[in-house]
Amino acid sequence: MKVIITATPKLTQWGKFSLTVKAIRPSGEGSLKKSFDLLKEKLDKEGLFAPERKRQIPSIPQRIAVISSTQAAGYADFIKIVNDRWGGVVIDVAHVQVQGEAAPDQIIRALKYFNSRETVADIIVIIRGGGSADDLSAFNDELLVREIAASRIPTVVGVGHEIDESLADLAADVRAATPSNAAQLVVPDRHEIIRATRSRVQSLLPRMDRIIIQQREQTHETIERMLESIDSRVQKYSDELVQTRRVIAELDPKRVLDRGYAILRGSKKIGETIAIETDHDIIKAEVLHVSKK
Amino acid sequence: MSVKSKSIQEKTAELNELVAWFDGDDFVLETALEKFKDAEKLAGEIETDLRAVQNEIQIVKQKFDADIA
Repeated sequence: MKVIITATPKLTQWGKFSLTVKAIRPSGEGSLKKSFDLLKEKLDKEGLFAPERKRQIPSIPQRIAVISSTQAAGYADFIKIVNDRWGGVVIDVAHVQVQGEAAPDQIIRALKYFNSRETVADIIVIIRGGGSADDLSAFNDELLVREIAASRIPTVVGVGHEIDESLADLAADVRAATPSNAAQLVVPDRHEIIRATRSRVQSLLPRMDRIIIQQREQTHETIERMLESIDSRVQKYSDELVQTRRVIAELDPKRVLDRGYAILRGSKKIGETIAIETDHDIIKAEVLHVSKK
Repeated sequence: MSVKSKSIQEKTAELNELVAWFDGDDFVLETALEKFKDAEKLAGEIETDLRAVQNEIQIVKQKFDADIA
């Protein structure tokens, strides 16, 4: 494994040469990979990447802390997408280097800053656009990874392209594939909410239509039943009327006269005149004799 | 956003209640039209509020290449 050493040389008067090492870092992709794997294994064993440590981020944050380089394309993408998707959030931005030797330290300071403020953010988002593997090395720094894992504020890390994975990604509560993806994860989409709200209200119309149709059908049925009942009663009364008319017709005195009977009017005393009405004639007659039947 | 977001959230909760009423046992046809109009109005307000509200971006003055105080 190749390493780059930062050291101070020393040559004694007796010709002894020595180096006082200040820093060692791996060099070349092979060495970087090996160093990455060793550190990943070590931190994994300590439980820094355990799924049960992951916290949920709030669905509608009030305040977001962003750690990024404000000159980076990834930062601009993140802000643009957040502004398009949602509003009313206070976004505090800590401008730091996101690549190079100074980057881990600056990001750690920014994390400590946000974690110690009185006004606590709901989420800390660390973002950076993609680059070569060497550029991501800051996010594999052990101290930085530990600081992310120890953050009391939930963290979202979006520091590479889709396929890049850093140790910072693994330690964060939520990993975003890219800064744009981070923006999609931390705030809802107001356009989608507007669409869904409209759709919910519009869905009430067919419901009301159905209920009105049901009520109308029920009313029709009720009216039909009423009309049938009225018809039935009218028929019954009509039949009764016909029957009554027949009875009345039978009781008509004219009918009795037509059958050969006569109506006698007047006193039944002997010598008195009575009137006899038949179907065609009225006869006057004198009473000659009266006896009981 | 705190006042407005509470306001949007309150309106959303109220809209949810109205929509639930249409499926509930208390549904009465005579008041349904009025409640539908209330729901439409609320949805419109929510849409307006959501479209109008902006984010506030603040660059922290603190420098992070030095020790924090």
